[in-house]
Amino acid sequence: MELLGIITCGGAALACALFVILSRNTVHSALWMVGNCLALGVLFLLLDSQFIAALQVIVYAGAIMMFIIYAIMMLNQRVSDEDSFRKSLLSGRFVVSFLFMVCLLGLGIGLSPMALKGTMGPHARVQYGEINLLANYIFVQGLAAFELVSVLLTAAVVGAVFLARRD
Amino acid sequence: MKFDLVRLIPIFPLVGVLINGLLGRRIVEKNKSLVHWIACGAVGLSFLVTLGLFVKLLGLPADKRLYDFTWFTWISSGVFHVNIGYQIDPLSMFMCMFVTGVGFLIHVYSIGYMSHDESYFRFFTYLNLFMFSMINLILADNFLLMFLGWEGVGLCSYLLISFWFSDLANAVAGKKAFVTNRVGDFFFAVGMLVLLTHLGAHGVWSLKFNDVFSHAYLLPPHLVTIICLLFFLGCTAKSAQIPLYIWLPDAMAGPTPVSALIHAATMVTAGVYFVARCNVLYSMSPFAMHVVAVVGALTAFFAATIAVTQNDIKKVLAYSTVSQLGYMFLGLGVGAFAAGLFHVLTHSFFKALLFLCSGCVIHAMGGEQDMRNMGGLRKKMPITFASMLIGTLAIAGLPGFSGFFSKDEILWQAYSSPQGSHILWLIGLLAAVMTAFYMFRLIFMTFFNECRASEEVQHHIHEAPKTMTVPLMVLSVLSIFGGLLGVPASLGGMNRVEHFLHPVFGLGAGKILQAAGGPSVIHKAVAQTAAEPHSFALEYELMLLTTLLVFAAIFAAYVLYVKKRDVPGRIAEGNPSFYQLLLNKWYIDEIYETVFINPLRAFSIFLWKGIDVVVIDGLVNSTAAFFVKCGNVCKSTQSGYVQRYAVSFMVGVFGLIAYFMYVR
Amino acid sequence: MNDYQSVYLALSAILFALGAFGVICRKDAIVVFLCVEIMLGAVNLAFVTFSRANQSAEGLFMVMCIMAVAGAEAAIGLSIFVLLYRKTGSINIDKFNLLKW
Repeated sequence: MELLGIITCGGAALACALFVILSRNTVHSALWMVGNCLALGVLFLLLDSQFIAALQVIVYAGAIMMFIIYAIMMLNQRVSDEDSFRKSLLSGRFVVSFLFMVCLLGLGIGLSPMALKGTMGPHARVQYGEINLLANYIFVQGLAAFELVSVLLTAAVVGAVFLARRD
Repeated sequence: MKFDLVRLIPIFPLVGVLINGLLGRRIVEKNKSLVHWIACGAVGLSFLVTLGLFVKLLGLPADKRLYDFTWFTWISSGVFHVNIGYQIDPLSMFMCMFVTGVGFLIHVYSIGYMSHDESYFRFFTYLNLFMFSMINLILADNFLLMFLGWEGVGLCSYLLISFWFSDLANAVAGKKAFVTNRVGDFFFAVGMLVLLTHLGAHGVWSLKFNDVFSHAYLLPPHLVTIICLLFFLGCTAKSAQIPLYIWLPDAMAGPTPVSALIHAATMVTAGVYFVARCNVLYSMSPFAMHVVAVVGALTAFFAATIAVTQNDIKKVLAYSTVSQLGYMFLGLGVGAFAAGLFHVLTHSFFKALLFLCSGCVIHAMGGEQDMRNMGGLRKKMPITFASMLIGTLAIAGLPGFSGFFSKDEILWQAYSSPQGSHILWLIGLLAAVMTAFYMFRLIFMTFFNECRASEEVQHHIHEAPKTMTVPLMVLSVLSIFGGLLGVPASLGGMNRVEHFLHPVFGLGAGKILQAAGGPSVIHKAVAQTAAEPHSFALEYELMLLTTLLVFAAIFAAYVLYVKKRDVPGRIAEGNPSFYQLLLNKWYIDEIYETVFINPLRAFSIFLWKGIDVVVIDGLVNSTAAFFVKCGNVCKSTQSGYVQRYAVSFMVGVFGLIAYFMYVR
Repeated sequence: MNDYQSVYLALSAILFALGAFGVICRKDAIVVFLCVEIMLGAVNLAFVTFSRANQSAEGLFMVMCIMAVAGAEAAIGLSIFVLLYRKTGSINIDKFNLLKW
């Protein structure tokens, strides 16, 4: 059952990512990106991380994507001004990046056995994904990092306002 | 008057150089006459100082006539020191007297001759620089300072030959003189270094004349011969002897006062002076003396044969100069140093006079130098004619004129000296006869008969201005009476020149060695030449023979160039190959061109195109090109495009991950 | 091995590679930005997978941090794009090679 979900959602995520990259229209890219985010959210649910899934949908698919749509609107640019991307698919750049992709896949697949040492037992599964587990971690061990992230966000807001204002 | 004032002699011309050289252009704008007042004044003052010192020197007893003035240390390297120092002895003062004297007269003459030239101040700057260098050459008390002057006069010679450098022929002539002199100077410098290192091996780290000569007995004889020959090769270049005389005739491209001053009266006698100065060394090497004598005699003869056929008035005088210089070396080579120097003195008078007269002629003819286009100038330029006639009589060696005494002295020494031989005397005699012939040919072609110049040129012919004629008159007087300084004993004279120079030569030089612990008499010949009284009868006979032959030569010239003027042409036609040989100067220039210059040029072109361009430039350029390529390769990593940076970033990340995964 | 971790990780790797490909190949700055987001999403997936496998909250915390960073990045990056577009009239990455100075 889980495998079925993984394949469906994973396929959806991959397809969305491909369309993001391949579509000529920037707005379409952004919309496919929303789809990608939603598919990832479902995958997080399948991984028993309800909180992260919620965050993914709200923050990513909601807030950040809204940003991007707004930005595209402000740029007033329906179709990107680059030369036909598909034509350049056979260029050296494409070949290079394709090789990188292959390398990446090789790395990822090579990495997986190493990461899979600690397969959990069935009893441990009960607690995982509960929000208090995460909350305990955030507010005990990760407090400093958490606060720093808030500083980062504040700085980003200030910076964005400063950059985008009309002088 | 103190001897320390000797430093003033070179300083005055140097000051003249500095003033005229640095400010000349402005001075000319303000007041043109100031330039020649400065230049001539400087040389005149030098002459006065020289005269004062000369008189003071004469006042001393003969064996005390040596004063060494050390001004300051020039080079100091360990035990080896070279000073700027001037030596006052009979030889240096003898040379300095006529160099500054004749130099002054020629400076005055130049005022008139160069008056229309644009580079007026430049000319006088060079002339003063020449005087400065020449005085250094003569007065120096060590080899190195003398070499400085030696190079300095070479430089000035180059600058003045190509004075009108916008004409390519003049620039080429200057270059030829310079390069030929470099060949000689190279050997000169090598000789100097050989001398220094070998004397240094005996602990005498000095190039001072007195130190070197007094310790010369320490050197093995073959080494002395080598050193003398190396030095003599330098002298052949400077004094235009075989094999390096080729530059002097071409040097006539310069202004005529330059030809008179540098290429007749003073600079070219530097070689004679040097050999005389080194008489101690040469006396130790009979072989070197023979070489000097033979080269001198051959040069005297060959140059005279060439002079017979030349048509350019200055070329005739130039070859005559070469020939007369050969005489001087012949004198030196047979051990008659004083006679050689006496001839230097008289030659500087009458040859300067001849050149200045030819300058007047050229000036009057509007730059024409070909004697075939002259003639009949006797009436139009009486002073010049008279002066030139006096000079010609002097150089031809008519009894009573200065050239007679000096030339006869040399011929007699060549005949009688133990170093000499009858063959040398015969060559010298032939040269003397030919000298009389070609000089009177010059006189007859230039001043007699009808004028062959165009109407327009004839219209402009005029006597030269005062500044030019006065030096002529002074030099005429000197040419007539200068010989009386050295009337030989056989003619009832005192031979003052020989007695005056005696402390430097012959037994005087022997004393230097003796004082340092060397052998008392270096070479029998020298001692004998100086001391032995000889039978007068033979001398009279030879003198008479020479004189008769000279008169015959003059008569022949008169017949050929005044009476039957078609004869020379027929002789030339009847004997075309020999005439062409002489006219083309025995093809020496062409031979040198083929044997030395062309291979050298080919080699140089090989070095240029083969070694320099391909190997050296290739190395340098390919090194540069290599780094340019490296730069181009590296440049692509600094393209400034975000995505390329992203790629390199990713490559780095993959590399790191792969390293940690698979290697560690 | 019933938990399909390797499937998740492979999926993550493919997504990441696709994102990287987009970052390298696309010229439109907005799309490049989106591709970066895809890469971040792929990383998030990997983190969550590891987190579950190790029964640890650290991975989840890291995902939160990444999301915050992504938000900050979106804010700054997009405002830079807007500014760039205002100044030069283009956001085509190939038109800017100022990074070499």
